[in-house]
Amino acid sequence: MILSYPRRILLTAIIMTLTLLLIIAALWLPPVPRDVKIMDSIFVLDITDSMNVEDAEMDGEKLRRLTWAKEFTRRTLLELPCGSHVGLAVFSEARSLILMNPIEICTNYNDLIQMLGQIAPTMAWARSSEVSKATYTAIRQAENIDPKPSIVFLTDGHESPPIHESLFPKFQGTPGEIKGVIVGIGGSDLLPIPKTNEQGEIEGFWDVNEVMHVDVYASTRGDMAERNAQKPRTEHLSSQKKSHLETLANRVGFDFVSSPKDPQKLVNRIRAASETREVTIDYDLYAWLSGLALLLVLLVFLPYRWIGLGDAN
Amino acid sequence: MSALSWSSPGFFYLLPLALLPWFIYNHSKTIAWSKLVPVDPLSRWINLLLKSLASGIIISLIMALAGPHIPEQTVERYGEGAEFVVLLDRSRSMDEIFARPPLNTLRTERTRFKSKRVVSTDYLLEFVEGRPDDRFGYVYFSTRSVEILPLTYNRDAILATIRAGGLGKGISKTNIVEALQLAGKMYEKEAYRGSRNVLLISDGGQILSSAEKRRLKTIYEHMNLNLYWIYLRSVRGMTLDESEQDSVLWEDLPERKLHTFFKTLAVPYQAYEAGSLEEYTAAIDEIDRQQYQRLLVAQRLPRESKADVFLWLALGGLLVLVASFWLSYAGVWQAYRKTA
Repeated sequence: MILSYPRRILLTAIIMTLTLLLIIAALWLPPVPRDVKIMDSIFVLDITDSMNVEDAEMDGEKLRRLTWAKEFTRRTLLELPCGSHVGLAVFSEARSLILMNPIEICTNYNDLIQMLGQIAPTMAWARSSEVSKATYTAIRQAENIDPKPSIVFLTDGHESPPIHESLFPKFQGTPGEIKGVIVGIGGSDLLPIPKTNEQGEIEGFWDVNEVMHVDVYASTRGDMAERNAQKPRTEHLSSQKKSHLETLANRVGFDFVSSPKDPQKLVNRIRAASETREVTIDYDLYAWLSGLALLLVLLVFLPYRWIGLGDAN
Repeated sequence: MSALSWSSPGFFYLLPLALLPWFIYNHSKTIAWSKLVPVDPLSRWINLLLKSLASGIIISLIMALAGPHIPEQTVERYGEGAEFVVLLDRSRSMDEIFARPPLNTLRTERTRFKSKRVVSTDYLLEFVEGRPDDRFGYVYFSTRSVEILPLTYNRDAILATIRAGGLGKGISKTNIVEALQLAGKMYEKEAYRGSRNVLLISDGGQILSSAEKRRLKTIYEHMNLNLYWIYLRSVRGMTLDESEQDSVLWEDLPERKLHTFFKTLAVPYQAYEAGSLEEYTAAIDEIDRQQYQRLLVAQRLPRESKADVFLWLALGGLLVLVASFWLSYAGVWQAYRKTA
């Protein structure tokens, strides 16, 4: 299409006027309200001994499970949309201890990260690790928070003392009332568990004779001694207990994700599992308007002759 | 004033596009011989100016798209207030009811009891909310002390942490000495800003060894920390100081020994025996009154977008350019009409 000279000038003048209007709009158009889906969640980090095993993979490196959990939590926080609220908790012994109630993520990111950095095995107040009971207590405490947050439970699923499959700790609540995701951490090979002392410092590994290999109930039953003896004595070693975590997730109505790679995907799972709230944020259109303006200006100054669109002279 | 930051610097790759206006020759009208066109220095200058303007507009728009902003920053100003490290007792005993009547009292009225933890949480919240310029750090202690929130001005963070402290059950026993030491360590890391306080909230005492006493004495006297102890009594009527109406059961209680030791420290120390809710409020109000001193306060200024500056630049350039285009269109149109 070849335009005559005056027409071309007219077209250019019109396009430039449009650009001018776009920029004026970018400068003066008020921000438009836009609804964003946000959710409240509490990240519960397992800080028991088994979390010190170095078999959690991230960016091609083997990290301690707890290090992985902290780093992955940090990355997940970055992916959460502004307006979402996040709280932090740790789990040791048989319960979850909430350190901070959910607060808005973008304005409080700094303090959340500070607190996340403080989470360490030394915080553990006892040396046992009862994952299922800890999940229940996290749920029970979440019920007391308004609005009710979802729970993101990061653990390797190692129960110590072990539980009998038919004597699973009872969940008193209603499954699914508090929503959540269990994030499984760790590899599939059984590895020795670093042992922490009273001060929470690591001192060697748990020995085969230092841990219980059968559940508390069975170990007190004399008539079960024979059956107990046949059980594998591997409770001093730890791997990610996927099937146990799946069972646990089913019991409490949670979703289960094993060793996620992409924090964004975990955010999607959390969002899918959580009750989201809509929050209206002010969305400034300036970027779209000035982007369009730039396109128009470029349209005017594209060297059409070179690309064979203009006339040859 | 901190430097300009860019939220999407990827747009800078588009900057070479600003050269485009220099590659285009807009006078593609038919001329017999270019040498016939008279040399007109004025129009050459105008041409140069218009091309520069066009480049400028493209650059400004790209810069605006790259999201220029001044990042969230903290500015320091002087305020009235103090720094507080809150040491909250998370031991199991804090789960018990607050100021229960002694066991040998007749039950006459049925009152709703709150646990000591819930009571202390409620009042801490009120205290923090009432002091906008203070800086707070938070330690929970039981057998071991954990600094969970380093000193911060962020009110949301400290309030959320205090609220979390009211949830759930206690952990294990009480180790006040470690908590007190940790508070000292938290201040050691910080630059001196103003009045430094340690707010101990606990229901129990502890018998200290002489080594522990010496250590605490050194830390607190050396760093000049003010110590406040909000003592949540378990039994109605029990006081930290001995009194005439003492029950034999209260003699030599660890709480009383700790109180006596605190009194020997050469730093401002005050114990508030929160016996009832009214007394607790009075205790908090008293601290409130005392701790208004000049203090260096950091205030957060939210991130500020500077895209407008570039949009204004583009707008200025465009106004001239648009005017020139319409002008040349008017000229060309007239010329064509004459020839037609």
